Amino acid sequence: MIKIKRGQVQTVRKPGRTLLAAAGISILAAGLFPEQTVCASEGPVILRICSWEEYIDLGEWDAEEAITLDNGTVIFGERPLYEEFEDWYRDTYGKEVRVEYSCFGTNEDLYNQLNIGDTYDLVCPSEYMIMKLMAEDRLLPYSERFYDTQDANNFYINNVSPFIQETLESNEIGGESWSKYAAGYMWGITGVLYNPALVTEEEASTWEIFGNPKFNRQITLKDNVRDSYFAALGILKADELTDEHFIRSADYHERLADMMNDVNPETIAQAQELLNQLMDNVYSLETDSGKADMITGKIVANYQWSGDAVYAMDQADADDFELRFAVPKESTNLWFDGWVMLKSGIDGDAERQHAAEAFVNFVSRTDNAVRNMYYIGYTSSIAGNEEDDTIYAYMSWCYGADEDEEDIMEYPVGYFFSGDNSDENYILRSAGSQIGRQLYSQYPPQDVMDRTAIMRYFDADANKAINQMWINVRCFDIYDVPVGVWMALLAGLLMLIWMGYRKSSSKRR
Amino acid sequence: MGKFRFQRSQLCIPYGLFLVCFVLAPLIVIIYYAFTNGEGQFTLGNLIGFFSSPNTIGTLAYSLGIAVATTCICLTLAYPIAYILARSSMKHKSVVLMVFVMPMWINFTLRITALKEILTMIEGNLAYHPFLNTLIGMTYDFLPFMILPIYTTLLKLDGSLLEAAADLGADTVQTFLKVTLPLSVPGIISGIVMVFLPSMTNYVVLDMLYNSTYIMGSLIGAYFSAYDWHNGSMIALILLVIILVFTLFTNRYADEDAGSSRGGVLGG
Repeated sequence: MIKIKRGQVQTVRKPGRTLLAAAGISILAAGLFPEQTVCASEGPVILRICSWEEYIDLGEWDAEEAITLDNGTVIFGERPLYEEFEDWYRDTYGKEVRVEYSCFGTNEDLYNQLNIGDTYDLVCPSEYMIMKLMAEDRLLPYSERFYDTQDANNFYINNVSPFIQETLESNEIGGESWSKYAAGYMWGITGVLYNPALVTEEEASTWEIFGNPKFNRQITLKDNVRDSYFAALGILKADELTDEHFIRSADYHERLADMMNDVNPETIAQAQELLNQLMDNVYSLETDSGKADMITGKIVANYQWSGDAVYAMDQADADDFELRFAVPKESTNLWFDGWVMLKSGIDGDAERQHAAEAFVNFVSRTDNAVRNMYYIGYTSSIAGNEEDDTIYAYMSWCYGADEDEEDIMEYPVGYFFSGDNSDENYILRSAGSQIGRQLYSQYPPQDVMDRTAIMRYFDADANKAINQMWINVRCFDIYDVPVGVWMALLAGLLMLIWMGYRKSSSKRR
Repeated sequence: MGKFRFQRSQLCIPYGLFLVCFVLAPLIVIIYYAFTNGEGQFTLGNLIGFFSSPNTIGTLAYSLGIAVATTCICLTLAYPIAYILARSSMKHKSVVLMVFVMPMWINFTLRITALKEILTMIEGNLAYHPFLNTLIGMTYDFLPFMILPIYTTLLKLDGSLLEAAADLGADTVQTFLKVTLPLSVPGIISGIVMVFLPSMTNYVVLDMLYNSTYIMGSLIGAYFSAYDWHNGSMIALILLVIILVFTLFTNRYADEDAGSSRGGVLGG
């Protein structure tokens, strides 16, 4: 999944462009310059981190941006988090660490970089890439020390949302649960961002909106195969997915995930046909231009990730223009990015592994998680705990109802904070208008979460088939060339031959 | 131990190294990948696959279509401009030329973004005319590359040849067709080369103008991001061959034409 982070919108690299440049040079470079060997015993520990662009708080907040939460915590970003980590590590563990922080543009970019020979210790890809790396045995499991809840500096295990941890534990690759290898960072769902003046909530709450002729050339799909394929499956299997019996069946979640990760050749062929039809109905495929196009009114609805939807709604609000977010009734994709340690980078170095785990803990400290959420706009996997309610306080700072609000609703978010949605400590009093808006996108209600499916990684054959399917959808079919063009070409060719003949015959004379 | 003696030919070493590292080696890597499969065995499958799939061949046709149309439009627009500028007795023609070339100094993405907004204002919805929009974007982007070489050749054209043509009784049209046009062919050719080749692969224009159809450049990118180096390299190689053939053809034509016109005018 290519996610464009909140903040600077235009700076994100497109996958193809960078790859083209990278491919030739890096293949070559990999051959010419053999991997550098890192000397670990002397000087500070070097920690090489690679994450999404604009995916960590870089500090430099203005003084008036400081957030004072109800629990008294003041949130303020002075310097980039990874720089502050170096100080924190020195103060806490008495050892020097130096972070080399770099960025990648897409999961595929990261994967290609790793194959080309770049070494990183800690990276933050999306769930399906984590699965792929896990299946290829390239990840190092977190140490037992990392899960020790008694250690006050183990912020991750003490603060992670039970919902995220449960999801990580219940998903397995090769008999091992993800939670051993991955620490959740940000998460969200996908849905449809729409303009309520022109699109009804009902029309937007289904994947079928992309084929709806009413919005011919006024909606955008995502420019990547995984997301678009998910939407196509949602349309193809709509009847079954919305069937009451199916939803109430005991193994609903298992079957839902299977259905939304179906890679039968037959299904892929159907999806190709469907996507071809959708291509004739949508405005375009986009990665980052959709948000701006929604605000300028070029399009009335677009396929959007929840975090970007929040960003677009905030922007539109500033222009006195309303956008809303709907989650398709068939199913939605639950995605998350997580920190994983690479075997190739850590390379058995215990000090480096300790520093990597400490970094994950540091960004999982509640105040740092809030800084990241504020800066990036996505939802952190960190929930806090009974003693530390900073995350919940930030949530009510963002979405809590004003005293004079007339329409107040009770919005339970216990599923995320304590694992129990009826937990009275986590029922937010918010404005009723928040349904379908920012709060709803950032912390979707339980009934939406019930129909989420995680994208799995596809094995090599399925991956190849699905990529080929996407290329076929995107390519121009030679049979679509109009007859007139063929005729013109033929005429042109004949003329060239005739001219050549005349020239040669005139020479002979 | 022999004394080190500096020879002039040693100055070539950095260039030789550069050629090996950044031209030869990547080319070998591309050829290697193009003719192997995932297991590293030799195969022609990538080549056959490209020419047997209606989609990849369609992409080639689509890219060629864009390139040919862009080149034709650019040539039609650029030649009169270059001609008027070069032949006019205007005092400040370099200023006027600058006006045409100035867009090149402004960042390309910025220009296309602005163009997108203007086209949206005119057309209402860009999605209905993706091909036309692409042509407009490409022309906007590449027009200066066509004007400049033609202008330079026309500027260098010896005025006495035109006078001679007039003395010998040729009217304006004949002078243009028999003298000016043949003598400006080298400029036209370099203009075509500078427009045709990049417009076949410049998919950023398509991306930004909401044309979701792949052209050759984006197809290579698509294969690469799917970790398929083999098909991607094959397409890069096919593109290379097309460009090579095209360049050979235009060079031959340019030589032939320049030779015959020189023979006709100067040698006569």
